[in-house]
Amino acid sequence: MKYVDQVREQFGIPGDVFERLAAIQAQDTVFVGTPEVMKFGAARPMRRGIRLCRIFPYSVKPTTFAMQVLGRPATRNVIGLNDEQARSIINGNELMIDADAEDGFVLLRWHEFVVGVGLYRKPVLRSQIPRFRSVEE
Amino acid sequence: MTTLRRRFPQAFIDRYSEFIPDFDEFLEAMQRPLRRTFRVNTLKTTRERALELLADLGPEPLPWCDVGFVLDGGEGLGLRMEHFIGLIYVQEAASMVPPLVLRPLPGERVLDLAAAPGSKTTQMAAMMENSGLVIANDQSPGRVRGLIGNVDRAGCLNTVVCRMDGGALARALQGTCDRVLVDAPCSSEGTIRKSAEALDRWSVDAFRRFSGLQKRLILAGYEALRPGGAMVYSTCTLAPEENEVVVADLLRRRPDASVCASHLEGFKMRPGLGSWHGEAFPEAVRACNRILPQDNDTEPFFAALIRRPEREIR
Repeated sequence: MKYVDQVREQFGIPGDVFERLAAIQAQDTVFVGTPEVMKFGAARPMRRGIRLCRIFPYSVKPTTFAMQVLGRPATRNVIGLNDEQARSIINGNELMIDADAEDGFVLLRWHEFVVGVGLYRKPVLRSQIPRFRSVEE
Repeated sequence: MTTLRRRFPQAFIDRYSEFIPDFDEFLEAMQRPLRRTFRVNTLKTTRERALELLADLGPEPLPWCDVGFVLDGGEGLGLRMEHFIGLIYVQEAASMVPPLVLRPLPGERVLDLAAAPGSKTTQMAAMMENSGLVIANDQSPGRVRGLIGNVDRAGCLNTVVCRMDGGALARALQGTCDRVLVDAPCSSEGTIRKSAEALDRWSVDAFRRFSGLQKRLILAGYEALRPGGAMVYSTCTLAPEENEVVVADLLRRRPDASVCASHLEGFKMRPGLGSWHGEAFPEAVRACNRILPQDNDTEPFFAALIRRPEREIR
């Protein structure tokens, strides 16, 4: 699917990450999961797998949860955060960072893990992590 | 011990001293606060890496669950980054038992009939290595939202979430599931260790109210199984009306069903009751498992492993 390829290319995620997965589009959202999840037809589920991304006219916005599980091997547009920065950004704060990333959506890495998705306009990094998930300090 | 007994309603003492062994030990354990336990989510990290990150909390392994750990204290665990990004799932130790007894395998089709908030769903998704299909269902709209949140946080790519009547969903899935978990809604006596208020709400009426629903759900779950498939029926309550009585009812309606003995190395489980208030249960009911708080320092729990035969006599 072209939107899966778009996410892969945007962040340099190797193709084998999606090899045994399937994706479907429902309106402006793409869901990703196992082929069995996508084929399931015995009932109408509220949710299939995980939301991969939302489609906008000129871009796709990957979701925090999909990138947490699929984005770890990403090689492009990734910004590494230390403990303090990671905690600050997931609480909704902006950071000023001079990073080697293009303007647009970026993956936020803490240790080897993806914490979520951010929006980068050099040098300002804004959190795109769902607010209800914020961690208290 | 008299003081200890005074904290519980007399009806509670009368009812459970009838069949719970080492009753004073049981009462004492029911009053101890629950230890904080968590499970490493192997869909996102390894056991070793999670332990490295959480080393300052001093987690100790649960001897019977390779990804389960207990903390001395552990306040603020839910606010840790490791929790936020889904490397760990805060889960009561006894609640880890039903999936361990059911043993879902990679590639299988598994139904979790009353799934919210999702601790067992996400545990099974991890045991299946994010392959195959977990059908996680709950009828309550509010609880389904929480279930989806936990499935997302745990990174379950092999899970669909449904919000249906359990019976209707099981009919739609009839005879197709390799494994089924019926972790039934119950009077939740087990949560007394978590919150003393649960004891204030305690009443015998609740058992009767839940028992009818539980009998419907266990039968529905059984019908969803493929021939040769396995089901676990579990509750976090002590009441025989919600446990052995429910399993016995299934055995009467589906005489082909069998209750199998189950064993977890390092975890003590006691046999099901042979009778309750004059009702003698089929011998197979003794193979159910009662988990008592004094045995493993957990909530009380009940789990029965039930199999549908390859060939049925109808």
